[in-house]
Amino acid sequence: MTNALVVKGLSLSVPSASGRVTVIDDLSFDIPAGRRVGLVGESGSGKSLTAYSLMRLIKEPVRIEKGEIFLEGQEILGMDMKKFRHLRGNDISMIYQDPMSALNPIMRIGAQIIESIQLHSDLNRSQARKAAIELLASVGIPEPDRRIDSYPFEMSGGMLQRVVIAIALSGQPKVLIADEATTALDVTTQARVLTLIDNLAAERGLSVLLITHDLGVAAQFSDELMVMYAGKLVEHGSVSQIFSNPVHPYTKALLNSHCDYTIDVNEPINSIAGQPPRPDNRPTGCVFSPRCPHVQPKCRETVPQLEIAQDRLTACFRAEELFELGRLNR
Amino acid sequence: MISQNDSVATLSGVSRIFKGKTGTVHALDDVTFDLKAGKTLALVGESGSGKTTAARVLLGLDQPSSGSIEVLGRELGSLKYEELRLLRREIQVVQQDPFSQLNRRHSVERIISSPLIAFNIGDKQSRRKQVIDLLKAVGLEEEHLNRRPHELSGGQCQRVAIARALAVDPKIVVLDEAVSALDVSVRAQVLNLLREIQSSRGLTYLFITHDLGVAHYMADEIAVMFRGRIVERGNRDDVFKQSQHHYTTGLLSSVPLASPTAEKRISEQVQSLPSPIEGDACNYRSRCAVGSGREDCKSLPIQITQGSSTHSWLCHSPVVRS
Amino acid sequence: MKFNWRYSFSGFLILLILGICLAAPILAPYDPNAIAVADAFSGPTAKNWMGADDLGRDSFSRILYGGRITILIAMAATAIALLIGTTWGLVAGVRRGWVDEFLMRTADATMAIPQILFALVCVSAVGASVISLPIVVGILLSPTTARMARSAVVTELASDYVTAAIASGTKRSKLILSEVMPNIAPQLLVQLSINAAAAVMLEATLSFIGLGIQPPNASWGTLMLQGYAKIWNTYWFVFFPALAVTITILAFNAYGERIRVTMDSRRSSV
Repeated sequence: MTNALVVKGLSLSVPSASGRVTVIDDLSFDIPAGRRVGLVGESGSGKSLTAYSLMRLIKEPVRIEKGEIFLEGQEILGMDMKKFRHLRGNDISMIYQDPMSALNPIMRIGAQIIESIQLHSDLNRSQARKAAIELLASVGIPEPDRRIDSYPFEMSGGMLQRVVIAIALSGQPKVLIADEATTALDVTTQARVLTLIDNLAAERGLSVLLITHDLGVAAQFSDELMVMYAGKLVEHGSVSQIFSNPVHPYTKALLNSHCDYTIDVNEPINSIAGQPPRPDNRPTGCVFSPRCPHVQPKCRETVPQLEIAQDRLTACFRAEELFELGRLNR
Repeated sequence: MISQNDSVATLSGVSRIFKGKTGTVHALDDVTFDLKAGKTLALVGESGSGKTTAARVLLGLDQPSSGSIEVLGRELGSLKYEELRLLRREIQVVQQDPFSQLNRRHSVERIISSPLIAFNIGDKQSRRKQVIDLLKAVGLEEEHLNRRPHELSGGQCQRVAIARALAVDPKIVVLDEAVSALDVSVRAQVLNLLREIQSSRGLTYLFITHDLGVAHYMADEIAVMFRGRIVERGNRDDVFKQSQHHYTTGLLSSVPLASPTAEKRISEQVQSLPSPIEGDACNYRSRCAVGSGREDCKSLPIQITQGSSTHSWLCHSPVVRS
Repeated sequence: MKFNWRYSFSGFLILLILGICLAAPILAPYDPNAIAVADAFSGPTAKNWMGADDLGRDSFSRILYGGRITILIAMAATAIALLIGTTWGLVAGVRRGWVDEFLMRTADATMAIPQILFALVCVSAVGASVISLPIVVGILLSPTTARMARSAVVTELASDYVTAAIASGTKRSKLILSEVMPNIAPQLLVQLSINAAAAVMLEATLSFIGLGIQPPNASWGTLMLQGYAKIWNTYWFVFFPALAVTITILAFNAYGERIRVTMDSRRSSV
């Protein structure tokens, strides 16, 4: 399977009172073509910054210290910006949490879609308009020939997000990044929009990077899962593997603290005490060590690397034994 | 004396109508529910369901267009402003946004003592002591006294808001999406805290949320709202295992579960949800697989069906279970 | 870089100007009205640092004393504008409804009147003095302050923390003072600085066209009036007062601008 996206050693920093501090630490992962990968993490995990890095939207004071990103084999961080602009929005697209801010409130949605289509193709205006109507239909908007002339304020959040998806897909991308794209939507609308993205991705062989804090969404709509904590990728494996046996102590704690209607109401929720470290206060060694129930002296001195532990990648020195422990306790 | 199953607050037939340029909106449409002493009622709904309006009306922050609201035996509509203000000692609120519900120019100490000052409780020294006790009760430290909200994390701010709500020892606390803006692990911490406080202080909660998982965990009783109406009401098992209204079943099936064997299809549909049709007897009819084909759902006004002592719903043709 | 409103270059400059002018009696080398025909028309020299005017009066002393008058009038006007404008805007923002409409349309109407025309009418009616000028200028500056105060208070009253304060039992009467004011204080400070700059400008303009302070007392504007006819041969008559006005206005504007930028950068985070 070829890789649609490969990230190698990505590191980002921000300024602080004590000089520059790390916010993403040596991030590496691959996304094969046509695969849906969920990226989960809490505030400060660096998941949104990862998305912005993939689109080269990182601006001072945030800085990419090092790393390489390969989009279908082409390295994009070092690429000439003019050349990359042809790829951005075309080969790699992104949709965000708030559709209202992604759309121009004083332009009709049709005009915005047509603008995007014409930017990435040679179609003339009437051809682009036809393509736009088809695109609106394909994203589940009723009466697309009428809706194409609506303004954003005339449409609901769910419909606007569909318009945003339509624009994102207008350039025939290979990779789609969805950054908390359904967080602001009602759960019934969310289900439909995510299913829509799923269908479109399957039709087009699109790879999807689904960034979310919602474990349910990640479980339901991705094949693989990546877990980030304080700028570090701590676990990466298939959804069934990770959800049935979370190995990294943070992943385990995160899954345990998830509150859905299947948990036992008579017990307190298994939460972990404390909070993630601030960027200017990162601990030495493993970034999760201050809160880890399985911590050992080694964890506080050396940073664990992402390594194969049975069936997935984990950044933990005790991965093997925790895997066995988890398997036995199931 | 309030015994276990007494109602401490009741909304009866409350409607709240907003007249706008695009027509009238029934934010609340003939809503009736009550809060039982020491228990939690979860008001579940999506955007536009009216759950926040219901909270505001209960807190006296908004006046209903019709219907009555009773809190601890007092009818809100009959109270003068000062009487209402004094009643606020008994019913407090924690809102959704951890930062914006705290005055960014005040210290934590000032924020938590604000209700104590408003009701003239104690003097500066006794208030400080009370604030420190409250901080400890919500899992914070004395060192947080002089901090400002922007120096705290979201979870910490929410704890400050909870401490403030507890300051005057209320009987009822309204939690309006109080954990929705928090990270998953912080949410778990705060939910545990809320449960612990409830049992140690005998508090009554009105828990407003769009998150079914949280409602399931926190609530003794659940009321599901859709576009201003309560479409189903019952205890935990009634609503989650024996749901009758099609909106409730639709909601439950739309929630993605975090499990390794998550069935890959939680929705067959991808189309945009249709808007309600003005004039339909049932406001859910346009989205309902069953109702869209039925004449009674279109024209016959729906009465509440009382399925059991705890479970009721507003539907002509509820779910049939074998 | 973080702007500290207590210590900054523009703040220091403002204090310097204020200090120098208010200390005019101590600092001025000569009596500003002392005529010394022998030195008339002399340019900047060791005896007269900024030269002397057509009657031999020392320009430097006249600028110090003139500044005193300009600053006093401008500061009084700024205070009056702040008082009237803030009250105006707060009442409108709190009461809303027709009171708000009425007050704000009145503000719009006042702003629509050309300032010099307004001043002309007022000054011809009541005469120009150290009392009437601040009131006239203050009234001219208050509508903008009112609009700013109104929009600020409306925004804050819609915030969650105000809802929380009401729900916590805070009395309505205490709400504005204890909850809202601390949050609009920075904006008021900005408006204060901008008004101060505008007040200096207005006073100088009015005096320059003869509506302001009358001779023998002179404010910066009057000095410029006396000097501009002779600008080609004796540039210093106009140059130094104009420089003083310019630096003062720039200092106030810079101060206000820096506060505003800091506030804006605090609102939008990374």
